[in-house]
Amino acid sequence: MSLDWLSHYTVTVLILIFTTMGLALLLHLQLGLTGIGNFGLVGFYGVGMYAFGMCLVHIPWPESWGMVWPFLLSLVLGSVAAGFAGLLVGWLIVGLDADGILLGTLGFASIVYGLSQTNRSLTGGAEGMGTTDFPYDIGSQKANTLLWLGILSVVVALLLFYVIRVHRSPYGRLLIATGQNEALARSLGKPTFRAKLVMFATTSAFMGLLGAMYGVMLHYMRPVELGITVTLAAMVGLVVGGAARSWGAVVGVLLVGVLFELVFMVWIPFPTQWRGSALPVIRQMLYGATLIIVLMTRPLGILGRMRRDKTVRRPDRG
Amino acid sequence: MAERTAVLASRPTIRVQGAVKSFDGRVVVDVDDLTLGKHPIEGLIGPNGAGKTTLMRLIMRSLKLDRGKISFDPGDGSSPEVVISSESAHAIARAGVVKTNQVIQDFEQLTIWDSLLLAASQPRDERAHRIYRERRVWSQYGDEIQEYLDLLPFDNPLGFAGSAGEKKLLDIIRCLLLHPKLLLLDEPTAGLPAGVRDRVMGLIKRKAVEENVSVVIVEHDLNVIWNLSEYVHFMAEGSVVLQGDPGWIREHETVVEKYLGKGHVGR
Repeated sequence: MSLDWLSHYTVTVLILIFTTMGLALLLHLQLGLTGIGNFGLVGFYGVGMYAFGMCLVHIPWPESWGMVWPFLLSLVLGSVAAGFAGLLVGWLIVGLDADGILLGTLGFASIVYGLSQTNRSLTGGAEGMGTTDFPYDIGSQKANTLLWLGILSVVVALLLFYVIRVHRSPYGRLLIATGQNEALARSLGKPTFRAKLVMFATTSAFMGLLGAMYGVMLHYMRPVELGITVTLAAMVGLVVGGAARSWGAVVGVLLVGVLFELVFMVWIPFPTQWRGSALPVIRQMLYGATLIIVLMTRPLGILGRMRRDKTVRRPDRG
Repeated sequence: MAERTAVLASRPTIRVQGAVKSFDGRVVVDVDDLTLGKHPIEGLIGPNGAGKTTLMRLIMRSLKLDRGKISFDPGDGSSPEVVISSESAHAIARAGVVKTNQVIQDFEQLTIWDSLLLAASQPRDERAHRIYRERRVWSQYGDEIQEYLDLLPFDNPLGFAGSAGEKKLLDIIRCLLLHPKLLLLDEPTAGLPAGVRDRVMGLIKRKAVEENVSVVIVEHDLNVIWNLSEYVHFMAEGSVVLQGDPGWIREHETVVEKYLGKGHVGR
């Protein structure tokens, strides 16, 4: 199969877009439904990425296990580590107001960023840590990356499916009620603190999984991968698409990501000399302008508000 | 008389002992020993600022006591007494003590059906991995909810509660769906249209008599109190100063002087 029409760069950008989409979907459960504005989601993503890398590199896996099992187990351990981080941070913050959550999660992301630069023997410090190639080989590097994109897109599709189901399940109703009027939900016998904590920990675990999967694509983990841009990309994508809608994350991230990463940076044949200085600046300006225009014309995002009056029906009546 | 005490002992009751709450040094509630719920429907009345709503909020733990203890006896003999002043708000509701809200409370993005299904759903329905539970929840609680909606209709039950009256009614039905053992109604009739009000009160009365729910009503519309309640607690300046039959309370000198005004007597 010839893959000449597709550049390796495009594939890696698509992996970035899909990872961001997954993060935005998880953020939708936290922010859009439950009202927890997690501004440190890159921290959980980073814990997953680094825990995966450290498990794979530092655990003396038996030779006889081959390549795939240590790889998969490390992915699981990375997600579990991120889940525990979510449990701990969640326990500290989910009872706080919006400001407290903002500061708490931002602080956590800074801690993870800081830790990733220290403990050189474990993390490789600022220079980073080489981990592994893909646990398979189907030919060229491009083909391998493309297969990884396929696997990632299945994971993201499953996340989207879960989110859509949550909107149509009693669990989603509980999360929405908790986000909108927590005192009232509690007076109806709902253990809102526990509900928020469980939701925060499980979504954090999946953020960790996405971080680990992105780390696999990178082959080489560095602290610069854990900057605020990851959080902002997911946050902006979700808000542009519609934070309260299950498809909001998909629409928003596709719009922003495809438009500004692929169309602008790859597909439009700008003169080469522009690419160095002018283009990134113009891109940032257009990015800001798009955000302003969308939020001025559609303050709740492109898809708008949650329409439960349209979606919630007695099942046997269709 | 012996038979009557036996009936009294089996009702769900709340006992408030030595409860004190002050805001900025001003004592708002100071109740020495009060038992609510010995009768099917009791009234709690008193002038503005007497501490009625604060007392209710203390019972529901949306406010914390400074001192004292509040306990709930489910009255069915099977479950033990619960010290609700050391439980969390959701555990109190689960134990069977439920309060309707004086100020309108709603979930903005939840439809009327949503809101009612939320109230009816049990913790086992609401686990994060139960993503196919919706059908079960509708079939399990749908009929009960539909009964309430037939009795107390909304304009569009699949839409959002529009008017203040609808939100108030929704609040009351949500509380009934929790199957309360002891129901506190904080100004239930404020904002309800007259026809709906009578149906709600009829329904509450049925719950109290037929299902052994103890109902405590805080209400400014005293006709509701005189018509429905069998026993009245009169609060003034943070304490319960008088308790007795409605007929006796409405004629009592202290009540007339502090609350009703002379004009109310004999009407």
